[in-house]
Amino acid sequence: MKRHLVAVSIVLRKELIDALRDRRTLLTVLVSSVLMGPLVLMAISALVASLEARAELREVYVAGLANAPTLKNFLERQTYTVKEAPAAYEIELRKSRFSDPVVVVPPDFESQLSRGESPIVEIVSDSANQRSEASTGRIERLLGGFSRERAVLNVALRGVAVQLLEPIEVESRDLASPQTRATRITGILPYFVLMAVLYGALNAALDTTAGERERGSLEPLLMNPAERWAIVVGKWGAVASVSMLIAVLSSFSFLPGQWVLQSDTLAAMFQYGLREALLFLVVLLPFAAALSAVLMAVAIRCKTFKEAQASATIVLLAVSLVPLISFFNLGSEAPWHLWVPALAQSTLMTHVLKGESLGAAEVVVPLFVCALLAAAGVAFVARMLRHAALK
Amino acid sequence: MIEVSGVAKSFRVAPAGKHGLAGLGRKRAAGRVVHAVRDVSFSAPPGHITGLLGPNGAGKTTTLRMLAALITPDAGTLAVDGIDVVARPREVVARMGVLSDSRGLYPRLTARENIVYYGALQGMEREVADARAQDLARMFEMTALLDRRTDGFSQGERMKTALIRALVHDPANIILDEPTNGLDVLATRALRENLRWLRTPAGGSKCIVFSTHIMQEVERLCDSVVVVAEGRAVASGTVPELLERTGETDFEEAFVKLAYGSERAPARTAQATT
Repeated sequence: MKRHLVAVSIVLRKELIDALRDRRTLLTVLVSSVLMGPLVLMAISALVASLEARAELREVYVAGLANAPTLKNFLERQTYTVKEAPAAYEIELRKSRFSDPVVVVPPDFESQLSRGESPIVEIVSDSANQRSEASTGRIERLLGGFSRERAVLNVALRGVAVQLLEPIEVESRDLASPQTRATRITGILPYFVLMAVLYGALNAALDTTAGERERGSLEPLLMNPAERWAIVVGKWGAVASVSMLIAVLSSFSFLPGQWVLQSDTLAAMFQYGLREALLFLVVLLPFAAALSAVLMAVAIRCKTFKEAQASATIVLLAVSLVPLISFFNLGSEAPWHLWVPALAQSTLMTHVLKGESLGAAEVVVPLFVCALLAAAGVAFVARMLRHAALK
Repeated sequence: MIEVSGVAKSFRVAPAGKHGLAGLGRKRAAGRVVHAVRDVSFSAPPGHITGLLGPNGAGKTTTLRMLAALITPDAGTLAVDGIDVVARPREVVARMGVLSDSRGLYPRLTARENIVYYGALQGMEREVADARAQDLARMFEMTALLDRRTDGFSQGERMKTALIRALVHDPANIILDEPTNGLDVLATRALRENLRWLRTPAGGSKCIVFSTHIMQEVERLCDSVVVVAEGRAVASGTVPELLERTGETDFEEAFVKLAYGSERAPARTAQATT
């Protein structure tokens, strides 16, 4: 047994040196995967910050402001600044140059209002212009408030109880903790981490299998007395190590990423500390090991690196599409999700981001699946090795 | 000492054009059966260079691969230093240095690292393997290249590195499959010199088997020749013996007679090597 372990460590050491010398590939993976998290976080925070800034400004743009002194008075009482909308607001909105919805008041607003004829007030926004769309709800609530005030005044003047107008009172209670609310925004982060792990494993996995075949170095390698499974385990260990390294780096990259958050609200909601980073690793490391074995198993069938890249696309596609199942299910989770690689990991990472702790089953089931996949992959590569060396 | 007796190996080849999706469909239609090796026997003693001479596709590479335990023979026995190849492949491989048909190196490793890697896999201590690499590099005149990455090596430099890699564990038996492929005249000469030296008692009285399709190499280097054609060993002996047997003065003529029969045209030899 000791002899076999020595062989494993010899192959592992050589493959690691080989992979780490592939500087350009490694650098590309590092830059794209490790910087990706903080960059996405920065983009999200910039968006949230600009939304917050807008909400703080409390501005309403009205077209035909002069026609509606009553409305203007109401809005100003709600401490909003009322501004005249630009003349060509439709074009501006459509081209996303103007980012607030516009309230359009008809010319005879006041007279219709006093006659009780319900003048039509339009809120103009462009649903393709996301920033204007985000403020529409706020404006709707404001105008609703105006309507209600008018109604209450009218009814009160006629001596009717105000309660008649509001037979029920609606209050909403939000159960979400700040962290759960944040996952609506930070929910895509697990996806980026999974991709990082995948791309970390990809190159090394292909190089040690299909690359070795293409170079013609597999046949001489098998003419050494080392057992085939020992060679494969060594190779797999090296690939998994590289992938795990990327997993560690990308998990920890969110720690400094947090400091660049511009939005205070988001910074308060997105609580990603050492505990979260470590839980991410609990989820990711077995996955990295399994993914490495699967990629090697796919690639050992291919004679060239290029051919292997084409075949590996299936794995890439699966890993990037499977987590979407939970998006399509609109967040509802089924127990079987834990049995599906990639989906389980993305689900669990979302849990971690929500501030929940991971249960035993949640850790053990994916771990079991990953161990199974890794063992199957390694066994398959070992079985195919001789065949692959000769063809 | 290498002894091969009566080995045979056939392969099932998939019908042309049925290789879709990187072989995802494993159940292929029953293909053609190619008899790569039908009946090859020879014996190669130590301190002796034995040449396997035959046209392309005669079954030389397949025979050597069976010897290196990469392919299991359908029939016959192979033994290296009295150890059966099929029964105890690991022990056999440890006693052999094989420069195979594919001799790929790791381009991101230096020549030394390539060599020491194989030494370690053969069970050597790293320091010992390293010292041995140094010695062999001196012998093959490539000390200056030892610490360079093999990425930019020429054909000859690659071949030398691969050969040193195969010899790093100082095997008693050396197998070379078409070693001069892609080498220029000087490199070929140097290789020949080195092989001659390895045959001498000072070089370790190695048992050397090498395959080729080039007559001159056999004439210049081999102590005895095994002519292989269409998967069979058709003749063996020293070069003068074979000349005498065929009544020829030119070895090329003698070879054509032996390999293709006296009156047959050398046309129908299109059989796959592997």
